[in-house]
Amino acid sequence: MAGVNSPRQGAYTALAYVTLIIISIFCLLPFVWMALASVDSNAQLFLKWPDSWTFDNYIRVFATENGTRWFANSLFTVLSATILVVIISGLGGYALSRSKAWWKQPFLYGILLIRVLPSTALLVPLYKILLTANNGMGSLVRPLAGENYRAIMQMVGFIDGYLGLIIVLATGQLPLALWIMKVFFDGVPKDYEEAAILDGATLVQRIHRVLIPLALPGLAAAGLFAFMSAWGDFLLPLILLSSPELQTLPIGLFRAFLRVNEIDYGLLAAIATIYLIPAVIAFSFARRYLVQTFSGGVKG
Amino acid sequence: MNRLIAGGLAAIAMSLLASTANAETLRVALHGQAGIDAFTPTAERIEKELGVTVEIVEYPAPDKDYMTKLLTELAAGNAPDLFSIPGASDVADMVAAGYLAPVGAELAAWPGYKDFVDVAKQLAVSPDGETYVMPYILGIQQIYFRRDVLEKAGISTEQPKSWADLLDRAKEIKAKTGAYGLLFPAGTSWGGGAFAEGFSHLIIGSSTPQIVTDDGKFDLNGKGVLDVFQFYKDLIDNDLMPVDPLLGPEPWVIPKYEMFPKGELAATTCGSWCYIFDWGRESKNPIPDVTTVVGTWADPGQESGEFVLAGLGAPWAVNAKSANLELAKKALLETGSVDNQIETAARIGNIPSSNAVQADPRFQALTELVPIQAAANHGTYLKQATGMSAVSEGVARATEALLRKETDAAGAQAILVDYVKQTLGDEAVK
Amino acid sequence: MAFDAFQKRKERQLLRLLLPALIPLAVLVIYPALYSVYLSMTNEALTGLAAAKPRFVGVGNYLRLFSDARFWNSLFVTFVFVVGSAIIGQFVIGFIAALALKRKIVGSSVFGAAILLPNAAPEVVAGFMWISMLAGGDHATLSKIMIALGLPWADWLQTFPLFMVTMVNTWRGIGTAMILLTAGLSAVPTEVYEAARMDGANPRQMFMRITLPLMAPTIFLYMLISTVSTISVFGLVYALTRGGPGGKTEVISVYIYNQSFTNFQLGYGAAGAVVALVVSLALGIAYVRSLKVEV
Repeated sequence: MAGVNSPRQGAYTALAYVTLIIISIFCLLPFVWMALASVDSNAQLFLKWPDSWTFDNYIRVFATENGTRWFANSLFTVLSATILVVIISGLGGYALSRSKAWWKQPFLYGILLIRVLPSTALLVPLYKILLTANNGMGSLVRPLAGENYRAIMQMVGFIDGYLGLIIVLATGQLPLALWIMKVFFDGVPKDYEEAAILDGATLVQRIHRVLIPLALPGLAAAGLFAFMSAWGDFLLPLILLSSPELQTLPIGLFRAFLRVNEIDYGLLAAIATIYLIPAVIAFSFARRYLVQTFSGGVKG
Repeated sequence: MNRLIAGGLAAIAMSLLASTANAETLRVALHGQAGIDAFTPTAERIEKELGVTVEIVEYPAPDKDYMTKLLTELAAGNAPDLFSIPGASDVADMVAAGYLAPVGAELAAWPGYKDFVDVAKQLAVSPDGETYVMPYILGIQQIYFRRDVLEKAGISTEQPKSWADLLDRAKEIKAKTGAYGLLFPAGTSWGGGAFAEGFSHLIIGSSTPQIVTDDGKFDLNGKGVLDVFQFYKDLIDNDLMPVDPLLGPEPWVIPKYEMFPKGELAATTCGSWCYIFDWGRESKNPIPDVTTVVGTWADPGQESGEFVLAGLGAPWAVNAKSANLELAKKALLETGSVDNQIETAARIGNIPSSNAVQADPRFQALTELVPIQAAANHGTYLKQATGMSAVSEGVARATEALLRKETDAAGAQAILVDYVKQTLGDEAVK
Repeated sequence: MAFDAFQKRKERQLLRLLLPALIPLAVLVIYPALYSVYLSMTNEALTGLAAAKPRFVGVGNYLRLFSDARFWNSLFVTFVFVVGSAIIGQFVIGFIAALALKRKIVGSSVFGAAILLPNAAPEVVAGFMWISMLAGGDHATLSKIMIALGLPWADWLQTFPLFMVTMVNTWRGIGTAMILLTAGLSAVPTEVYEAARMDGANPRQMFMRITLPLMAPTIFLYMLISTVSTISVFGLVYALTRGGPGGKTEVISVYIYNQSFTNFQLGYGAAGAVVALVVSLALGIAYVRSLKVEV
């Protein structure tokens, strides 16, 4: 069919290759620098072939810097936030899908609009609220904890504590997750549930036996996107955390970046690479959900 | 749900931490690796003498980020007990905000304080007459020049007599050696340095040497301010000062750590720390035999006079809302010890405030600093007032515009005045 | 009657399921948004006298804001940044990539992965990597490439700051645009092209008359969503330039941060935040309306 156009089609295909190669180089070049710098014994600001290959930079992240701690903190807070998001959005998404109440529509519009709020705009009041909560928690913990007060507050505190960061991180991911789950449940036929109702199952049983197994793909999408977005968040840990024991990877990276008068690029690149890897893994899983999620199920 | 998780975490925490030591903990914030290294022995002394645990909190290192974090926590009431304040120009504002505990009585009763040079004590006094900081080290600033480069080119190394003389010297350097003649820190990315390490050198020798009036307002419309900006403009227009690096991040790296050691920049303002930190033994790129190769000039006045600029180097202060106020005040006195002064001087190159260091062989070993410490007794300084941080930022923005060749001296002055008015209100500016 | 009661009970149960989502959103998003409005009418600050004794100043902050050239500048910068990266950069390059990938290309999954990789990079990492590409004058990687090609170099983040920041944000979003537009392209039935080819249409005509019109809803959706999400970009710009030099890259989110946390003027920063909220909400509502969201 393309006989006449063959040479022309060939030219277009060649053009497509050239374009794709150029765009790919543009997209990959910064990563190449980072990967090379992280194994270079004498890394510099600019792209260069390593003087000599070494894993010293990575070893230093974990040995001399607090890399293990940063990584563990990031993973713990972000995973906890993700789990919270999955549970809350699973329940909420089901409610939003099945409800016919008056509040459904305003609520859905509302969370759609929340996605446009710039996070810096909410920072100051958020800090104040968390501080109040923190003081409340403090007066609860103080009589119980005695001398371990501060250590316990690092766990359950709202400022400079895991709990506060986890809850705030989770809240930030809720709007998108609720949408994903709502749209997902819209696609789950009610027949299954009705069958379960006829069997005399309660709401909890229905959720447990029928909906959770059905909802797993939706929960996976919601969880992956929550994980990626929370993993990349930099402003919240920057403002909320100060104890060295609580520092996370983005703060470690930012701090190493600004620490001394002359930056150690090899070390920085190693931290950045370590920080990047979980994000890339999550993204490679999330990729297949990208299309339906990006539109936020708007056409739902 | 959240409560459940919180409870679970609390239970885990309890079981994990059942066996921690039971000493009081003092939280201490300071910035920069060198500062932390210098402070570590003092932290150990505090632990030993006061029977407390000292926990060092490392905040982001650039002064601005450190201040952001510290002020946020001070405002929230969860700041560390003891902290250093990188920019002395922030002290007055922090006092006005009620963040700092008064320590005048403690300092007066402390035997070590009588050995402090007068300038340090005067600088520590806030506009309200009370003292809130431990002025343990001073930044003594002058103009540092490459004696070898000038002598080789047959240029005078005599103390310049006036601004015009200084400018001519810079032009001669440019003409005869091709090197940049003189650097004054400028622009926003240098942070507080544009004011403290640049503007201040000139304004104290100008026709309006103080910018704070007796009633605590800022006198920024004066001729002195205009002349200072004109001096910057002359430096920039005649290409006597390296402009491009100042516009990037870490503006000090190229001029101070690369150009000056190579002789591509022949003179710059700097503090005593340059002999140790920037070009001396703590430097990555040291200049061999730095005290002979690099000479110093006092800042010349606009018409005449010589000025040695003194300022507080990162003073220590106590959180007014500290839960361990009395302990923190005792620890504050420990930061003023001769030991800490010398250890800090050795790491960072600032000048100990106490004359008692002169009798200490460890200080005598810091040969670069010994004569400067003696000269500190004749230092001059800029009066401080509430709102000084806004003036500092305004100067950074005004000089940034000059660097970018977007305005003239009068325009730069207008930027400064507008910024301070906008930030502090019209009534703050005379 | 019985059915009604059943329905009511069911709705109550459902509301209870939604409650764990409702509470954190109300406490940590809605309330702060309302609180910023209050804060914007005070002179509250992080330091100085106003930190100890904040005063109510009414609309004073707003009057000051509207006479602040830096604020108007930040709105302009935000506009250029959004239009340049979300609407032009990401879209055009993403569309080109999607069109190229539609052909039978060997290794198309490799290309796809390469183009998608920047999407996975956290903002701080992206900022850090691009500093190496752009900062440092002739030391910068881009300068070295230009020199190798015999082209002039510049101090990129100084000479073309806004263009560079826009380009970096473009870089982060090409992949998403490509994926979405690929999905849109594959939804255009091949028979339409076949028919057009029979009628002797050339590729350019087919693109202008078939591809674009049929893709319009996808394109429109993409642009609205990417516009709204680009307005709130913060970490990337902050890590790259902190809004400098001289405010040339100070997008609104960075402006708010700088006013609140660098100049320590919380009340004034909040006024900027409220204006940003209003603009974002207006855009958001336009987005909801124009898409005729059915919920």
